[in-house]
Amino acid sequence: MQGFVHSIESMGLVDGPGTRTIFFLQGCPLRCAFCHNPDALKKAGGRIMTPEAIVEFAGRYRSYYGEEGGITFSGGEPLLQGKFVYRSLKLLKREGYNTCVDTSGFGDPRYYQKIMPLVDTLILDVKAFDREAFRELTTIDGFQAYLDFLAKLDLYGFKGQIWVRHVMVPGLTDSEESMEQFIRLLEPIRAKVDRIEILPYHTSGVSKYRELGIPYRLEGVEPMDKERAKELEIYANKLFAAGLREERAQNGKAREEKYRQLKAKEIASDAEKAEMFQVLRGLPLLSDVPEEDVSHVLSEVILSSIKAGELVFKTGDAPDFMYLIYKGQMKIFVNTMDGEEQIFYIYRDGDFVGGLNLLVETPYRYIGQALTDCKVVAIPKATFDKYFYNSPAVLRSVLSKSFERIRWAEELIQRLATSNASMKTAGLLLKLVKRLGVETEEGIRLELSMSREELGNYSGLRRETITRKLGEFRELGYIELVGNRVIIVKDLEALESYVY
Amino acid sequence: MKENLFNREEMAKAWEGFTPGEWSEGIDVRDFIQKNYAPYFGDEGFLEGPTENTARIWEKANSLIQDETKSRTIKVDLERFSGIDNFEPGYIDQDKEVIVGLQTDEPLKRIMNPYGGFRMLKSSLDAYGLQMDPEMERRFNEYRKTHNQGVFDAYTKEMRAVRSAGLLTGLPDAYGRGRIIGDYRRVALYGLDYLKEMRLKDKENLTGPAVEETIRLREEFTDQIRALDAMKSMAARYGFDIGRPARNAQEAVQWLYFGYLAAIKENNGAAMSLGRNTAFLDIYIERDLARGLITEQQAQELIDQLVIKLRLVRHLRTPEYDQLFAGDPTWVTEAIGGMGQDGRPLVTKTAYRFLHTLTNLGTAPEPNMTILWSNDLPRAFKEYCAYMSIKTASIQYENDDLMRPIYGDDYAIACCVSAMRVGKDMQFFGARANLAKALLYAINGGVDEIKRDKATGQPVQVLSGIARNTQDVLDYDTVLASFKQVMDKLAEIYVNTMNTIHYMHDKYAYEASQMALHDPYVHRYIAFGIAGLSIVADSLSAIKYAKVRPVRDEHGLTVDFEVEGAFPRYGNDDDRVDQIAIMVNEYFMEALRQHQAYRGAEHTLSLLTITSNVVYGKKTGATPDGRKKGEPFAPGANPMNGADTMGALASLNSVAKLPYKRVNQDGISNTFTIIPAALGKNLPEQVTNLTNIMDGYFGRGAFHLNVNVLDKALLIDAMENPDKYPNLTIRVSGYAVRFNRLDREHQLDVINRTFHEAV
Repeated sequence: MQGFVHSIESMGLVDGPGTRTIFFLQGCPLRCAFCHNPDALKKAGGRIMTPEAIVEFAGRYRSYYGEEGGITFSGGEPLLQGKFVYRSLKLLKREGYNTCVDTSGFGDPRYYQKIMPLVDTLILDVKAFDREAFRELTTIDGFQAYLDFLAKLDLYGFKGQIWVRHVMVPGLTDSEESMEQFIRLLEPIRAKVDRIEILPYHTSGVSKYRELGIPYRLEGVEPMDKERAKELEIYANKLFAAGLREERAQNGKAREEKYRQLKAKEIASDAEKAEMFQVLRGLPLLSDVPEEDVSHVLSEVILSSIKAGELVFKTGDAPDFMYLIYKGQMKIFVNTMDGEEQIFYIYRDGDFVGGLNLLVETPYRYIGQALTDCKVVAIPKATFDKYFYNSPAVLRSVLSKSFERIRWAEELIQRLATSNASMKTAGLLLKLVKRLGVETEEGIRLELSMSREELGNYSGLRRETITRKLGEFRELGYIELVGNRVIIVKDLEALESYVY
Repeated sequence: MKENLFNREEMAKAWEGFTPGEWSEGIDVRDFIQKNYAPYFGDEGFLEGPTENTARIWEKANSLIQDETKSRTIKVDLERFSGIDNFEPGYIDQDKEVIVGLQTDEPLKRIMNPYGGFRMLKSSLDAYGLQMDPEMERRFNEYRKTHNQGVFDAYTKEMRAVRSAGLLTGLPDAYGRGRIIGDYRRVALYGLDYLKEMRLKDKENLTGPAVEETIRLREEFTDQIRALDAMKSMAARYGFDIGRPARNAQEAVQWLYFGYLAAIKENNGAAMSLGRNTAFLDIYIERDLARGLITEQQAQELIDQLVIKLRLVRHLRTPEYDQLFAGDPTWVTEAIGGMGQDGRPLVTKTAYRFLHTLTNLGTAPEPNMTILWSNDLPRAFKEYCAYMSIKTASIQYENDDLMRPIYGDDYAIACCVSAMRVGKDMQFFGARANLAKALLYAINGGVDEIKRDKATGQPVQVLSGIARNTQDVLDYDTVLASFKQVMDKLAEIYVNTMNTIHYMHDKYAYEASQMALHDPYVHRYIAFGIAGLSIVADSLSAIKYAKVRPVRDEHGLTVDFEVEGAFPRYGNDDDRVDQIAIMVNEYFMEALRQHQAYRGAEHTLSLLTITSNVVYGKKTGATPDGRKKGEPFAPGANPMNGADTMGALASLNSVAKLPYKRVNQDGISNTFTIIPAALGKNLPEQVTNLTNIMDGYFGRGAFHLNVNVLDKALLIDAMENPDKYPNLTIRVSGYAVRFNRLDREHQLDVINRTFHEAV
């Protein structure tokens, strides 16, 4: 097994998160007018490498990668050498590398299902926003195929994050309308998008065409104005965030629906209710709640009976409730790639589930289904936030319970997380605005007492990720950073649209 | 018998609140630091801006510095020679200075130091159209001999030949050798009276047969005692009694600076480092802060004002010297950070305060800030350093994890990359051998490829007994065998030359004030150097993996090469050639070690060119790697420009392979330049990326990194419009320099070097 590698850049700092080694692979079916690697179009050529050689190579640079860095396959179109990329990724993943594939979606589809679950970051090149423009630019009538590729990423088993990129050529897509089209295209993958970048078209690749004796189709087109490109990038990012806000509104409806459902199954018998309350009062969970509040808590929780086989929550559901199992059994599982059910836990009387999700505000990454007829106590998020959020006893029990789950949870987070670093960072900033924001002429000033590391811990993100996100927000003009300890929020609305 | 020094009144007063230890029973600054310092794990949030006074003083000092650069003139005290106590006190703006003391009675007025070499002094003055009192000149030459005269009295014909051919260059035979770091902290901690008392005892105890070394030592001890007296008197002119120990933070900074000031009044060594002082000073500052005596702003003021003084250090140099060490560097090197042997970081708030001067006072090349990097340093500190590097391009990094096992945790950096235990080690500095030229000698049978006899116009035989290569296509084994012969011969001459130089330096230009701030018996290193390693590696690789045909002139001398085919080049993490570099390095070190060094010194070897890579290039013919005659070398251990095709990490990995311990233990310099856009999309990402790159690089056992985050276009603009960028500072091999102080040739060399860009 071997692949054709056009060239290697041992230090790529802008193609995927962190410090990355980039393998540019030979071959591309598209003929983009602005292609700056025309010498990589042929499928054969360059340096011949085995997947083992790729891993050996990566090993030499591992010490530079930090928390987010790793290996990127770019090109050409790396997915064209599907088998090679698959074998390489498999070996890399076995060694624990962070992986990234920079693609325009025109590879060898036979390997997508094998490759995609192994990719942490997908850099998705969006060439054009409609069929005609796509054909014009790439000479291939492939727009529909591209849309299919996006739509099927889930099916292929892709669980990572996506960086979306678009090369902006003056006169082609440098308009607000184009950006609106652009963002609409992203709807099917919205939950996975971590970054949207506009790359202004530049002419520094033109000399290669002359050397190779190939005519250059954009001859005479000026480089894209960088400031205008930045403006449109900000516009596109705002549109994208507005889309998220809309989606959240939908989620709000779903929550109400859930509440209604649980209410509908509320236990009727007062005797049974009284008995359950009695047990609840005895739980350490409530030990920090002042006596006068206990009755509030009890009046806000829902005591619900659930029939065997019913789903209590499913993957991706927002963390709306914490469930205490009063009686019965509930299984926690995921459906694996092969369509099999992998059960992690079976919870029984007295167990609870979903506490951590409420605490760190992450959606469920697994499915909860009643194995037997169950009686559960559902604690709504609002109640949890009000009475339990600051309770050491709750923290302790949630954490100690969570401890045993952490091992697989971490793995799952890696594999299943629909990465939402933007939302988390925005959410954190908004929390800070509420708590310590001071209105000034420049914006809302936040004087932090936390280091980046602590900010990261606080928001459930890695230090490097939060650093990157803050940098990005700054670039988009949402915030200004003054040293390490002061953040000035310039565009509250933009941040809010990620969260509310 | 040990004495509890706390029982002495002056000590008790000065040391109140300090935890006693070995240090309070005899001289042991490291122990004082370990027992009393507080590591700092937080970030830079606590730092304060400059005080009004600092701002005013800096404004004034900076305008003098700018004038000096613009007018290309200098001021010199023409009425007296160098000496610890030969000058009237000088001030910038006396009322506003919390730390005082200048080399002469005026800022930037330079000192005439005749002891290294009188001709050097004369030509320095000539270069600026200045003249000393003819009577002084006549008297000095009538009664005194200099280091330079001594050396040339004792040089052999062979030594003169390799020197004049440029096989050995930059030897300190006509200028101060430097590379000695006094433990200036001792002045603050113990006061000079106690130091003198101890040295008197050392002298008393030094008895036994009067052999040469003993006699010399007794004379040196006496010179040191005299120097301590002179230091005390010099400080007294400023109104301070440094006979007693410092009682507070302001005094500690002032006392320490007086120690350094004495050194730079007495000597004009090429590089005179400050040492490793931030954790030491932090103890005094934290004590004053805790006692409510000063505020954070005042603490910063002390460090800011110390740094202003360090930025004003000047020595009188010749234009030739400037060619080797461009931009008027003084290498006031301060080593910052590192880990303690007990696992606590030696990062304190004062480490931050010191770096913060680059913000408070703006960017500047001096003091030469050197971060001792360890993977175990607090992340917040690493990121702050990376941030300051991106903002100022004024910081260099050296691997504490490599040095600590050898030197412990109280070493500092002399000049650029030379580690030594403070107050316990010194170094005989020895510039470098041009191994690229040596390789040409292996092909040309010891005849220089450029030099011609002045009388006959014929080529000059510099080394004898080397066979001339007559092959049509060079054979690797033949050339290598011959090259090893050249290295053997060169090593012998090199060691002997160095022994001669340092014998005479000790005799005629002894650094009494600095040695007074050392232990009585020091360990000595003798530091050799290699220039042109990347050329040698690439050239041998070309001979081995491609076809190299020599082009010979009418004398049969090879003056150029035709290379056919590809060959691996150093800088791509390719062992085929990287191992050649290592082999040559190890071979030369072993060859040097075969020859006994003066005063039992330990041999070390550096890969460091400073800016002399340009001059070396000029003096070296075409080489088998395809480099043309006269083209600059790569600086230090850097790969040749454009040689790396695999990106920056591959290049860093190649350099990281070079062996530090026992081989290149005098340091391996590597300069890394990257454009901001390639380092990351935005500043926070750039900080993360740069931090991770350094963690990765040093994690692989690399030794040193100069970091520049700069756009090439900016440098080109700065070359054309120097006034637009008065303070633009960049790192070159081993030091930082104001870009507008480099001549055009050096500026172009910097611009033409590899800038890592995004693909």
